[in-house]
Amino acid sequence: MACTSGGKSDVAPVPEQFPVGLRVLVVDDDVICLRVLEQMLRKCMYKVTSCSQATVALNLLRERKGCFDIVLSDVHMPDMDGFKLLELVGLEMDLPVIMMSADGRTNLVMRGIRHGACDYLIKPIRDEELKNIWQHVVRKKWNEIKEHDHSGSMEDHDRQKRVIDDAEYASCVNEGADEVLKMQKKRRDSKDEDDTELENDDPAATKKPRVVWSVELHQQFVSAVNQLGIDKAVPKRILELMNVPGLTRENVASHLQKFRLYLKRLSGVAQQQGCLPSTYCGPVEQNLKLASLGRFDIQALAASGQLPPQTLAALHAELLSRPPGKLVLPALDQRTLLHASLQGSKCIPADQDVAYGQPLIKCSSNIAKQTSQPVMSNEDVLSEFAAWSAKSLGDMVPACNFGSVVERNSNMLISFIQQQQQQQQKQPVIPEPSRSINVQPSCLVVPSQSSPNFQAGNSPVSVNQNCSFRNLALDYNNPSLQSNNSSGAGQNMEVECKPVRMHSEFGTAGSVLSASSCSKDIQDSACQRVPSSLSTISVVMQVPNINDMQSSHSGKPDLVQVSTRNPVYVGKGPSIPSRFAVDEHELPMSSISQMKLYAENNGNKVKQEPNDLTENVRVGIPVRQTFPQMI
Amino acid sequence: MEVDQLQRTFHDYHASLFNEGFLDEQFVQLQQLQDESNPGFVVEVVSLFFEDSERLLNDLSKALDQVNVDFRKIDAHVHQLKGSSSSIGAQRVRNACIAFRNFCDERNIEACLQCLQQVRQEYLLVKTKLEALLRLEQQIVAAGGASPM
Repeated sequence: MACTSGGKSDVAPVPEQFPVGLRVLVVDDDVICLRVLEQMLRKCMYKVTSCSQATVALNLLRERKGCFDIVLSDVHMPDMDGFKLLELVGLEMDLPVIMMSADGRTNLVMRGIRHGACDYLIKPIRDEELKNIWQHVVRKKWNEIKEHDHSGSMEDHDRQKRVIDDAEYASCVNEGADEVLKMQKKRRDSKDEDDTELENDDPAATKKPRVVWSVELHQQFVSAVNQLGIDKAVPKRILELMNVPGLTRENVASHLQKFRLYLKRLSGVAQQQGCLPSTYCGPVEQNLKLASLGRFDIQALAASGQLPPQTLAALHAELLSRPPGKLVLPALDQRTLLHASLQGSKCIPADQDVAYGQPLIKCSSNIAKQTSQPVMSNEDVLSEFAAWSAKSLGDMVPACNFGSVVERNSNMLISFIQQQQQQQQKQPVIPEPSRSINVQPSCLVVPSQSSPNFQAGNSPVSVNQNCSFRNLALDYNNPSLQSNNSSGAGQNMEVECKPVRMHSEFGTAGSVLSASSCSKDIQDSACQRVPSSLSTISVVMQVPNINDMQSSHSGKPDLVQVSTRNPVYVGKGPSIPSRFAVDEHELPMSSISQMKLYAENNGNKVKQEPNDLTENVRVGIPVRQTFPQMI
Repeated sequence: MEVDQLQRTFHDYHASLFNEGFLDEQFVQLQQLQDESNPGFVVEVVSLFFEDSERLLNDLSKALDQVNVDFRKIDAHVHQLKGSSSSIGAQRVRNACIAFRNFCDERNIEACLQCLQQVRQEYLLVKTKLEALLRLEQQIVAAGGASPM
């Protein structure tokens, strides 16, 4: 009568010996039944917890989340209707629930199904029936995975989101952008293939209508969760707050479950990395890898131990508040971003800002060396910027990283990276003196060694408080650094600022640019270019409230980067993406202070954004604290 | 008595209970659940059944005695009794409960009272039988034999 164990090799990915050790919670007010079931389940080698009261069971499930694989519940219970328990468990914990009853009337069984029971057993229950309950656990897991991969949306941002949510994501962080690219591509491909079948299977396969968790919807969800507090967010309240017609509690519940897992993974990964930077340098390396992916910045922060789950959620919201193409996820790969940006972005049209990315600063001790050589002739201006940046950075979560950097390098100046490989550019990108610098607060500077290369830099130097700083992508490649490993931060100090807002001149590309300025790219190209390129330190800063952007495409295919009327360096091929949007628009400094990393594309949005961002960003305090020191 | 003899007696008695419909297959399941790690399992469960059933029967009595009979409550009680009796394999009790529930649905107090009577009777019968069986088992074990359960 013992359950089979261990012989489920075809069941993957389950732990060995499955279903032995399956954690079952049995709920039944009938103590005889309970005892008998308990014994039967034990004989099946399951781990049994029995409960005679539904309310106790629910508390148990809530307290010990993740401690149970499946729930068996009686239908008729005095303190709570079994179907209600069934629903709650499904919504809150998303566990498979099997209903049991001595009453096998069809209408009751039907009710069970409607409420989401994965099975309905009629008492007296035989042990053979219990032997196979593990199938429900496996089936549910597989369906979830499938759903994850194939969720209805065809949009890239959803795809990205799913990719990001995927557990592989965590490993990618450590492995670098490369893996992510591959994974993305693979996922995209398989998704494309699967979609057609999916549609056929859909109606039959799923028991619930598929909800497309678009970025906007997810943002609403996350705001609702933040509003309630991640610990107190229950599907019902979230649903109420979201107020989305057609959305059911079940949809929200399952999404919430995934979201919680996602947050857990984030903090889990962060713990693994175990970096707790008070300054940025240490974790920078890791952060570099992390930071190359927009969402990874969250991890970076999480890694820094500064992010409570709420913040993670908030950041997540933040990230998702960007429409596709404007996503701050510089992440994944150029193509993806480009694709995304092309698809959804309004940036392509000339007159919009592209909001991007997060500055990635990879610190190394090298940076210190750099700081003493301001590229800008106008040091005052730069320090002004630096100070301002520091302040602004406070608003930007990832900026906290910068804050430390800044802190360390008080002399850091903002320089522009023109092109690392100017020579190699097909397009002559020549910064014009008149260009103004878009300062991205978080990005600071490292003067490039090549002043000469820094053509645009000179002009920006003239930036003063009156200058508008737009899209300054701080892309920082020290030659010395470049010569180092390509895999990532290592000892290199690279500051990659993905321009949050690209000057319109820069067009969408900028975003991609930032995106494409994956550390990997940079490093690769950096490595390659080291000898030839000098300094290319591009500082791309973005300033909010840019209303008069005109974008022009650089025309660089792969980078899709910033193109400006002033030659912005657009990296080519493996070259470092352009992150240098030098812009001449002038913006009042005050507006700059509102700038946030995740600025929106257009001016209007930008204005609104900061407020939103402020609300959403809950962690910034550590960052802010560092800033004053910067000045 | 010799162990063998006791064993035979047990075996015969055990068979008769099934033949007469007092017990069904579910009781065998209970016996199979008993093992070295759980030697008193059957006794434990049967005892629980006795306690629970007596409580329910009392509740049913009271409920039917009310001026305004709450049939939903009665139904709940009967349902539970049905569940527990089926869990240990007390077949005749279970059948009596099914009949009881039907009359409950009809809100027929008289019939319900009769059913209650029937259920109680069956319960007492099976209780006697089970106690006898368990006593036999005890004797066997006491005489050095292996539990026939």
